[in-house]
Amino acid sequence: MTAIENLDSRFREAGALVVSRHDFKRDGLVLSATIPAGILTKLARGLKDDGYALLDLSVLEAKEGFLVTYHFDSFREPGRLALRVLATEEMPEVPSLYGIFEGAEWHERESADFYGLIFFGNPNPVPLILPADFDGPPPLRKDPKDLAALSALGLFGQADVLDPSWEALVNPPAPDKPGAGDGAGA
Amino acid sequence: MELTIANFVQIVIACLLIIALMVGNAVIMVYIERKAAGFIQRRPGPYEVGPRGTIQAICDSMKLLGKQLFIPGNVDWLLYFLAPVMAFLPVLLLFLPIPFGKYLVALKVDDGILLILAFAGLGVISNILAGWASNNKYGLLGAARAVAQSVAYEIPMIMALLAVVFMAGSLNLSEIVERQGTWPWQWNIVFQPLACFIYFVSLVGETNRAPFDLPEAESELTAGFHTEYSGMGFALFFLSEYANMLLVSFVCATFFLGGYKGPILDGFWWTFIKAYAVMCLIVWLRWTFPRVRFDQLLNINWKWLLPLSILNLWVTAIVLKFIE
Amino acid sequence: MSGLNFINPFGVREDPGTFTGDFYTENFSRKAKPGTVILNLGPQHPSTHGVLRIVVELDGEYVIRAEPVLGYLHRMHEKMGEVKTPWQFIPNMGRVDYLHPIAWNWAYVGAVERLGGIEVPERAEYLRVISCELNRIASHLMWWGAFVMDLGGVTPILYAFEEREKINDILQIVTGSRLTLSYFRFGGVSTDVDERFLRLTKEFVPYLRERLKMYKALVTDNIILRRRLEGVGPMGVDICQRYGATGPILRAAGVASDTRRDIPYGIYKKFDFDIPSGPTNDSFGRYLVRLAEVEESLTIVEQAIKELPAGAIRIDKAPKANYKLPAGETYFAVEGARGQVGCHLVSDGGTRPYRIKLRAPGFSNLSLFAEAAKGTLLADAIAILGSLDLVIPEVDR
Repeated sequence: MTAIENLDSRFREAGALVVSRHDFKRDGLVLSATIPAGILTKLARGLKDDGYALLDLSVLEAKEGFLVTYHFDSFREPGRLALRVLATEEMPEVPSLYGIFEGAEWHERESADFYGLIFFGNPNPVPLILPADFDGPPPLRKDPKDLAALSALGLFGQADVLDPSWEALVNPPAPDKPGAGDGAGA
Repeated sequence: MELTIANFVQIVIACLLIIALMVGNAVIMVYIERKAAGFIQRRPGPYEVGPRGTIQAICDSMKLLGKQLFIPGNVDWLLYFLAPVMAFLPVLLLFLPIPFGKYLVALKVDDGILLILAFAGLGVISNILAGWASNNKYGLLGAARAVAQSVAYEIPMIMALLAVVFMAGSLNLSEIVERQGTWPWQWNIVFQPLACFIYFVSLVGETNRAPFDLPEAESELTAGFHTEYSGMGFALFFLSEYANMLLVSFVCATFFLGGYKGPILDGFWWTFIKAYAVMCLIVWLRWTFPRVRFDQLLNINWKWLLPLSILNLWVTAIVLKFIE
Repeated sequence: MSGLNFINPFGVREDPGTFTGDFYTENFSRKAKPGTVILNLGPQHPSTHGVLRIVVELDGEYVIRAEPVLGYLHRMHEKMGEVKTPWQFIPNMGRVDYLHPIAWNWAYVGAVERLGGIEVPERAEYLRVISCELNRIASHLMWWGAFVMDLGGVTPILYAFEEREKINDILQIVTGSRLTLSYFRFGGVSTDVDERFLRLTKEFVPYLRERLKMYKALVTDNIILRRRLEGVGPMGVDICQRYGATGPILRAAGVASDTRRDIPYGIYKKFDFDIPSGPTNDSFGRYLVRLAEVEESLTIVEQAIKELPAGAIRIDKAPKANYKLPAGETYFAVEGARGQVGCHLVSDGGTRPYRIKLRAPGFSNLSLFAEAAKGTLLADAIAILGSLDLVIPEVDR
């Protein structure tokens, strides 16, 4: 697992906010890193050089905003890892990965359709799956009262919080939500 | 040949009979083709309408007759309606010089094969008109393909036929049949196997049949030049396609397979048996092979068939000269 | 658009103004060069297999640009997953990809099981493998027929259907349906197999092996087919990596990558099978890889039938309708007939999942079409499209 450790330290050096190790048997991931949007393209380029491919992109809407999760896997040494970028409601913008993985274009357009996110740098920012004249709200947006906090979703596995401002998001203070922190850390 | 009243009446009757033949042939061929396709694909084919599905084709043509003539928007309606008629009419002329039997010839002309080749070239004009007039990009692409293909495949076809003409020393189709014997080893296919092969490949290309059905390549151009035609317009194209098939098969039978001559009892039935055998071969090809690509289609023609047919013609001429 | 209208020589029936074209074509043609034609392939077109639409710019017969337009079969399965309980959502999974529904069954059920820590009895694991592999064979057969039909050969699809019918007959015994199969349940499968299922499956394996020989003689060795496919649409590892293409496309590129082997799920570790990876990365390589995969699937089915253990087909404490998924996130990937099928499941501890993201292999595989088709002939573009093995409901979800 040296490759994973390498990546782990690389994410930390690059300025990741949270780096988590996961139990593959439960989470289907080995490593995930929550990073600021600014270093996304840099890290993605590094992953591409290591032979990783962008296999999936999923967006999770939570109280704090949109958590965009990029799933990477290597064809040669399988081990799924995820990069997460948080885009806030006020500024739903994430850099596009088109320049590195062309396949990201469609994934991003799909997410833009469903969540109203803006992927700046996407060469073709037109709707992909929804009709062009669709004028309703983004269909996968949840009712604000249904939104869960990120910490309640158990996303972070064995989290190592590097940025103090994320401490509250990953491990919220106990009285706020008693059971959630345990679920996340398990 | 001077035009007397007797001649005129003969030609008119012949034309009527030929129309009957064309229509009857289409009905029979549709049935044969569907049954053959069913046999090849291990399914029954038409079997619901009539005994063993025999009147299925008639019902289909009734349906086509009864359909509304639909004109898509922005078509050039004059050319749009002219095209199917133009596809159908020249074929009528082409059958005139064909010797079905020894005396069963509508128009005994000395240069019969020239007549056939000249008017056969008209068919492609209807294709291009149909493709152009229907204001459809598939149609236009199909028409463009039809022209390139038709022009290309006519040349080796003529070259292959010329070799036989050299041997017979005549352009008259009856004459060519007369020069062949009754038995299969006395037919031109034995003396001109290469020409026969080239002619057969070109006739598949010339009639736009699979694997050379590029102008109406279904998986690429939906239906090519007749994409926008329905009802009777489509039926006329359909009819002319089968009539063309019948014609080239008759020419094949006349030139290479001894025409109306057969091992026992010469007569027009031999012409028909031979022509329909050729057509069954075409049908068999269609349901077996995938389609070639357009550049491959032209490569086969320009790089193989044309040089081979010229070589064949050249060798034939030299051999004939030496025999003399 | 004005440059694209054909001149009407007699000026009959001109009514300009009302028709302005649709968004995609307008958006696409803005950059059109003079002398080219924008052609709309689909959504109703014989070779787009359903309702895919591709806008292509043609220079003669050469494709200058191609852009797939999706969404004609979009059903928002992801939203349905959020509003339905896990139990209610299982039938949806049979409808995402109608050719290999069992793989999608497995992706979703597997994700829920992984998140909930649900164990599956061994017999059920074997039945899952058997049904999934049979279904994979059916999917590949269907692809084979449709692909050859794209190339103009109309007969093979009927041969493929005959074999596919046999598989449908077999799977119908346990699933009750022939197309949108919903066989998997949380903690097992829905029905146990009976004697007839086992007998038919045992008969089917040698039967199909014989038939595959005939396929090879009839179609694979056909010179026209080879000339149509060899060297057409090469897709190396690089393009697969950039677009996230998986499945036979990646394997034809020479990478023996298969989720069944790389990230083992179920009991695939127990079986002895090869991952065919082609020597050539063109359309013909993809063709050969898929046919080789059919044989490998047959091997797996044979082994699984032989070793099928007795026992329960579902755990006793299988989740009920009011099952609450524990909070957490998981990703479950399985190898579908077209590539890696993935289900990203996030739960906040309620009765309904918080978020489901379905990864359709066809989505990523189709996204590379624009690049692969550039500069090819229209007929080659159709061949490339066919070699990607698309199922549009899966692409659109």
